[in-house]
Amino acid sequence: MSILFQLIFSGISVGMIYGVIAFGYQLTFATSKTLNFGQGEALALGALVGLTAINFIFGTIWGTYIGVGWSYLLMIPLVLVFGFLQGTVVERLGVRQAITIKSEAGWIMSTIALGIIFKNLAENIWGRDGLKFPSPLPEAAMTVNLGFAEFRVQPMELAIIFGALAIMLAVEFFNRKTVFGKAVIATANDREAAGLMGINTTRVISFSYALSSLTAAFAGVLVAPITLTGATMGVVLGLKAFAVAIIGGLSSGMGVVVGGLILGITETLTGYYISSGYRDVPGLILLLLVLAIKPSGLFGRATIKKL
Amino acid sequence: MLELDNISASYGKVAVLQGISLTVPEHQLVTLIGSNGAGKTTTLRAISGMLRPQSGQILLAGEDISTLPSHLIARRGLAHSPEGRRIFPNLSVKDNLIMGAFLRLTGKRSRGDVAGDIERVFTLFPRLKERHKQLAGTLSGGEQQMLAMGRALMLNPRVLLLDEPSMGLAPKLVEEVFATIHRLKAEKITMLLVEQFAAAALEVADYGYVLENGKIALSGTAAKLRKDSAVQAAYLGGGS
Ligand SMILES: Nc1ncnc2c1ncn2[C@@H]1O[C@H](COP(=O)(O)OP(=O)(O)OP(=O)(O)O)[C@@H](O)[C@H]1O
Ligand SMILES: [Mg+2]
Repeated sequence: MSILFQLIFSGISVGMIYGVIAFGYQLTFATSKTLNFGQGEALALGALVGLTAINFIFGTIWGTYIGVGWSYLLMIPLVLVFGFLQGTVVERLGVRQAITIKSEAGWIMSTIALGIIFKNLAENIWGRDGLKFPSPLPEAAMTVNLGFAEFRVQPMELAIIFGALAIMLAVEFFNRKTVFGKAVIATANDREAAGLMGINTTRVISFSYALSSLTAAFAGVLVAPITLTGATMGVVLGLKAFAVAIIGGLSSGMGVVVGGLILGITETLTGYYISSGYRDVPGLILLLLVLAIKPSGLFGRATIKKL
Repeated sequence: MLELDNISASYGKVAVLQGISLTVPEHQLVTLIGSNGAGKTTTLRAISGMLRPQSGQILLAGEDISTLPSHLIARRGLAHSPEGRRIFPNLSVKDNLIMGAFLRLTGKRSRGDVAGDIERVFTLFPRLKERHKQLAGTLSGGEQQMLAMGRALMLNPRVLLLDEPSMGLAPKLVEEVFATIHRLKAEKITMLLVEQFAAAALEVADYGYVLENGKIALSGTAAKLRKDSAVQAAYLGGGS
């Protein structure tokens, strides 16, 4: 019983990461029917920039007073700004032209290419080895007692769950409550009509790419303390999140969270009860099932054909 | 206020507009009538930047807007209630109206009294007020039509383009829409109106153009067009 809870809890934490990355796919897909296949690299870059930033902050003379925890918190805004800018670069170089000429596949190639370039760039700056990211929270597991079950959780796993929820809620709040956020929804609903309202929809799309990379970069610094940080750390995460985006649907924030949790939990359960070698299988089966049952895809007919 | 000079436009290779010239003077209501497929919607789309014309000029208050994207044309004070309503289904009724006032709320056009103008739209269309929290996608077709018109008004436009505002409405609501148009006319809003009910359109308009196969076939004061025998035969015969 206890081990089951423990596995589910780990699954939730992994699943929230998938969910946040998939949420990023969904942000740009809503406004532009395109997405950044270099999302995993955006995550890795965010984590690496975060690593440099936290080491810098902690290395200053105040470092010893504020500790790793505060250094981590101070690093986050820098990473968010970096992710935001990185996203606008991806949109400008990889996507805008494809949208303008209504190329159905151009953006796929160009975002993959940009991802590779970013990965190479990261390898040249930070090297090819996995780096240790200082943990802002104690690394020792805490014991959680639910009365009928007792299990151990790493504080950072909890932080991942809350951090992921917080960033998604912040973006949703922005979209629902502010005039600019409503303009994002309007653009997603009907780009031409949004233009008639005076909304610069090219800017909105650029902004959605910025937000998408921002969430990925944030996901990067969330997972970094419990994994190794490096240029390739986002490759598998990005792919799994893509599966989540298809399982959960690219149209609702709720869908990607649920999709992420389903994938995360089935993975940890399979890894423990069957074999860690089969960890990735149930997720893929789920993906194939979704594609088989909804052949048009939760992704929209035109796009899936091209993929 | 709005002037089209020899505008041509096409979808792909198919030429749809072949040299349209028309003028909408300030404070006047001009109507564009023509049979299905004549190019009325295309004309309005060219004006609001949804479609880039191939040649010709479109002057709004003396400035050429024919190469500008929609959002910059809106900034110059042109509102377009497009064919097919095109409301934002995932936003509430009220948020759709707020989007109509986007430029005023973001400082690109003078703000004025946005809340008061929302109330004014609600006075024009009380059904919208009852449903202001509802998602616009769940409104009936007629309600969506009212919302599209109200949303366009929220810009406080210098020029308002209306593409078949009565489409799909019950007769009672068609009357209401025309009553609204009369009221807007009394407020001296400059309007270009495309309507399937040509008789009613010529009733309220100051001036009219008849579009046939992408060309202006006939134009004149609304009073004159109402009496024209060709217009009567083609567009007014037995109609409303
Ligand atoms: N997106 C498009 N692609 C190709 N052809 C189009 C497109 N939109 C309109 N057309 C064609 O252009 C011509 C003019 O269409 P338009 O919509 O301007 O007509 P309309 O006068 O508004 O007609 P209606 O009264 O039916 O609304 C038609 O022949 C139509 O088939
Ligand atoms: Mg039409």
